[in-house]
Amino acid sequence: MSMSTVKLESSDEKIYEVERDIACMSVTIKNMLEDIGDSDAPIPLPNVTSTILEKVLEYCKHHHEHPSPQPEDKKDEKRLDDIPPYDRDFCKVDQPTLFELILAANYLDIKALLDVTCKTVANMIRGKTPEEIRKIFNIKNDFTPDEEEQIRKENEWCEDKGN
Amino acid sequence: MSMMTSAPQKSVKLEDIWPDLEEGIYKIITDLNKGFPRNKWMALYTHVYDYCAASQSKGSTGKTGMPKQQSTGANYVGEELYNRLNLFLKNHMKELLQVTDSKMDETLLNYYYTEWDRYTSAMKYINNIFQYMNRYWIKREIDDGKKEVYEIFILSLVIWRDYLFTPLKIRLTSSLLDIIESERNGYQINTHLIKGVINGYVSLGLNREKPKETILQVYKSSFEELFLTATENYYTNESAKFISEHSVADYMKKVETRLNEEVKRVQQYLHPSTETELISKCEKVLIEKHVEVVWNEFQSLLENDKISDLTRMYSLLSRIPRGLEPLRATLEKHVQNVGLQAVSSIANGAIEPRVYIETLLKVFKKYNDLVTGAFRSDTGFVASLDKACRRFINENAVTLAAKSSSKSPELLARFTDFLLKKSPNNPEESEMEQLLNDVMIVFKYIEDKDVFQDFYSKMLAKRLIHGTSTSEDLEGTMIGKLKSTCGYEYTSKLQRMFTDMSLSRDLLDRFNTHLEQVERSQLGIDFSVLVLATGSWPLQPPSTNFSIPKELQACEELFQKFYQVQYSGRKLNWLHHLSKGELKTKYLQSSKSGYTLQCSTYQIGVLLQFNIYDSLTTEEIQGSTQLIDSVLKGTLTSLCKSKILLSDPALDDDDISKSTKFTLNKGFKNKKTKIFINVPVLTQVKEEIDSIHKTVEEDRKLQIQAAIVRIMKMRKQLPHSGLMTEVISQLQTRFNPKVNIIKKCIDILIEKEYLQRVEGQKDMYSYVA
Repeated sequence: MSMSTVKLESSDEKIYEVERDIACMSVTIKNMLEDIGDSDAPIPLPNVTSTILEKVLEYCKHHHEHPSPQPEDKKDEKRLDDIPPYDRDFCKVDQPTLFELILAANYLDIKALLDVTCKTVANMIRGKTPEEIRKIFNIKNDFTPDEEEQIRKENEWCEDKGN
Repeated sequence: MSMMTSAPQKSVKLEDIWPDLEEGIYKIITDLNKGFPRNKWMALYTHVYDYCAASQSKGSTGKTGMPKQQSTGANYVGEELYNRLNLFLKNHMKELLQVTDSKMDETLLNYYYTEWDRYTSAMKYINNIFQYMNRYWIKREIDDGKKEVYEIFILSLVIWRDYLFTPLKIRLTSSLLDIIESERNGYQINTHLIKGVINGYVSLGLNREKPKETILQVYKSSFEELFLTATENYYTNESAKFISEHSVADYMKKVETRLNEEVKRVQQYLHPSTETELISKCEKVLIEKHVEVVWNEFQSLLENDKISDLTRMYSLLSRIPRGLEPLRATLEKHVQNVGLQAVSSIANGAIEPRVYIETLLKVFKKYNDLVTGAFRSDTGFVASLDKACRRFINENAVTLAAKSSSKSPELLARFTDFLLKKSPNNPEESEMEQLLNDVMIVFKYIEDKDVFQDFYSKMLAKRLIHGTSTSEDLEGTMIGKLKSTCGYEYTSKLQRMFTDMSLSRDLLDRFNTHLEQVERSQLGIDFSVLVLATGSWPLQPPSTNFSIPKELQACEELFQKFYQVQYSGRKLNWLHHLSKGELKTKYLQSSKSGYTLQCSTYQIGVLLQFNIYDSLTTEEIQGSTQLIDSVLKGTLTSLCKSKILLSDPALDDDDISKSTKFTLNKGFKNKKTKIFINVPVLTQVKEEIDSIHKTVEEDRKLQIQAAIVRIMKMRKQLPHSGLMTEVISQLQTRFNPKVNIIKKCIDILIEKEYLQRVEGQKDMYSYVA
């Protein structure tokens, strides 16, 4: 007998009751449920805040209700321009939220969400100079000029020469 | 993930999480069935995640933000935790191993299996809890080619194998073999336990290249090899003892049971891949090693009709190479002997075709059932049966007594005639198809098919002319069967006989119409005629002159005229000896309406004389009928025997003198109004049979010569032996040509200058165009 819903508990101790199938889009939760079996106890997710968990659940619900016609394994991980409209809108959030979504997707092992959030970040980097990138992500340059030169040399081969 | 440095990230040291993880892992590994709470599971997972996801710069192995190797890109953390778990599991193995010191046999297996089961279930949990490490650090290490790093679950198996299984395996396997032996000895064993332990052997066969698939090397080398040797020893001993104390039939039962048990054993608790080798080992020890004893029993099983033992023997011997070969020869000899004996027992005096054929069939059917049943229609046995049947059917006590190998085809043809000729003893219509099939069974084995053909066509001719066929359908069926066995040529004459019959019916209709419309005359008698082509019908010309009575003459002349107009150039020969007619009496008091006498044409010729004369001598009758002595004598005898005529002096069997007087028996009486007057046929049949046997030899010589000419015309030149083989192969569907006859025919053809010997080349003939 499998229960049709499970309770998820965010790091700030908010409890969300969701359909089991939706929760199981997280491989981590799926593995846990397979190991432990049925119980009423809420599943604590100490690395996910309620704000982020709500976003994640929103994403999962949408994709549960609108299953992608394209099989997971056929999607091209390297392509950056194939983000579906819903997902593109979903990722239009401020930078800290986007990064937290990446962390949550990784923690919960939700591959589709991890892919789409990482692609969004990749699109932010694409075509930018290191200086521009540092600015976007508010990164301090901690390389010495020598180190910087060496890295440039090592990565010359992957420079996008077309642009 | 290095860009995540900008997100808030916990800093995690191994020492912060390990105590908690270790406690949890220990609980899972030792005490899982008490259950494990969700929050604890999530906590452990989160520990692993926090540790592995923590940035390199904050982990313990990295130096700066610089990657160690430029090719690795992002850095993953995990090595220390992995090593810690590795060490923990190895220690756990040591603890488990210590406990086994005091354990033996089933207790050892029980302990091992319980711990294996507990451990593998627990490690599935732990593998999931360490999933984050599997996904990143371990995956990267494996991708980089580190052979000593495994996914956590695989790691747990490697550790089990190297630190627990390896030190225990000799004791484990020998315990397994002891228990399996006790099952072979008839004791109940815990198959669930054995299966569990053996499945464990299989699971430990880890594939280095593809860690998710198992290979069988651990199972094969640590168990199967020893198991097969133990099996061989066990059955070597058992079979030697059993066969010395029991009959071969019982031994075969035992072997059958043992083989079934071993198949079941594989299904119950061994790996399926073991079956082939296990069974072949058993077959070798249980069957091949004792095959001579088994072979020697075959004859006696055959003699006693032990069908189930024979079935078993076949199925056992068919498992081993060349196991059946000696049996085939034995069967052949046995069937031949049984056949010969059966025929001998009926071969005294005149032989009834039906009894003869039924005797042959009985033997055939008995052994055909055996071959198709017990021997599963094995082609080798079918061939033995065929050879044996061919031999005893063509040469047996009956054919020896008749001094002729063509006796069998003759009797078969006569049996067929018995079936197809209308008679009160005819079998039921429903049995006919089967009976005709039986005929074909014997026919298949007959060597002199040409003799059968001769007899068959003679008898068919009689059935058709005398209208004594049971049914035209059955005649057609039979001819169809002959045709499908021997081909079109074999039956073409028979089929033309049927064509003549139906042409004759049409012709007679046209003749009757012609009489009405053209001749405008009536014959005054019912007349019917069959016009039969000389080439198709095996009919003899009449052996006597005959002057047809004037009452019938008109008919003949009218028909002859009618026929010659339609087919000028054809010659009609009247076969009076095959004809018959009916006479109606008007001179007898005993029946007011008169008797109808069914007579041959010759009898009619004699009787009609008495329309004019009251009394006639033999000589006078001969004068008017022109019949030769022997035919006249037979005709008169038959009329006197049926009391139509009276003779003076009374007839004795041997002789009728020229002056014997015949008068109509005016006091003739009979209960029936339709009387069939016997035609003296017996002597005729005997003569016919002899003449067929004689003509067969002549026919064959002609056929052989024709075949030689055909072959030589095509080949132009052939050596003697080649010509022999070709002649034999061309003719053997009809008869077996004898070598000396073929030689004679070659000589005849050389004399007639169809062939010549090639000069300078020994035994070489060439065709003379």
